[in-house]
Amino acid sequence: MIRWIFISTFLISFALFAVVEWRARREDSTIPTLGELTGFVMQYEVGRMPVGRIALFGFWWWVGWHFFAR
Amino acid sequence: MEQRSELTAEAERTWDRPIVMLPIFLLLSAAGGLLPSFSLAANLYVLAIGGTLFWLGLSGRVPRRPAPRRLPGGTAWWLLPVLALAAVEVVTFVGGSTHDYPTLSLLADPILESYLARAALYFGWLTAFWGLVRR
Repeated sequence: MIRWIFISTFLISFALFAVVEWRARREDSTIPTLGELTGFVMQYEVGRMPVGRIALFGFWWWVGWHFFAR
Repeated sequence: MEQRSELTAEAERTWDRPIVMLPIFLLLSAAGGLLPSFSLAANLYVLAIGGTLFWLGLSGRVPRRPAPRRLPGGTAWWLLPVLALAAVEVVTFVGGSTHDYPTLSLLADPILESYLARAALYFGWLTAFWGLVRR
C-alpha cells in the first residue's frame, strides 16, 4: 500500500512539472518556462567563475551517470 | 569581406541545428542503450559524452539563447513539482530504498533493462543536456 503512495507521488510530481510548464507557455503567463528558469540560474557567477552553469551541468551529468552507468 | 564573415558565421552555426544534432543524439542513444549498467563501457560512455557537453557548455563555442535578466512573479510555482519530487525522493531514500520505500532509481531499474526504454531515456537525457548547453 505505502509503495503505491510513493509511486503515485512520483507520478504526480512529474505531472506537476508538465502542468507548470504548460501554464508557463500560455500567452501573458507570469510563470517562466523551465528553459528560462535554468537560463536565469546559469547566469549566476562568483567572480569570473560560472557557478550556475557548472552546478546545472554537473547535476545533469550526474543524473545520466546515476541512471545509465550505476 | 563582410559577406565572407557572414558566410563563415552561417557555416559555424549549421552544425548546431536540430536537423544535425538530433540524428547524432539518436545514434549516441542507440549505442548508449546497448551498454548495461555497472559496466566499464557504460561508465566511460556517460563520462565521455557528459564531459564533452560540459566542455561545450563552458567553452562558449555554442551560441546561447538570451536568458531573462529578472524572473517574473510566478516563478515560485516551480517550487511545487521540485519540492514534491525532492520530498518523496528523500523520504524513500531515508526509508532505505526498499520495495516499500522505492526511490526513483529503484523504480527506474526494471524500465532501464528494456533496450528501447533505455535508448529513449538516453535520448531525453542528451537532448535536455544540449538544451542546457544552449542556455
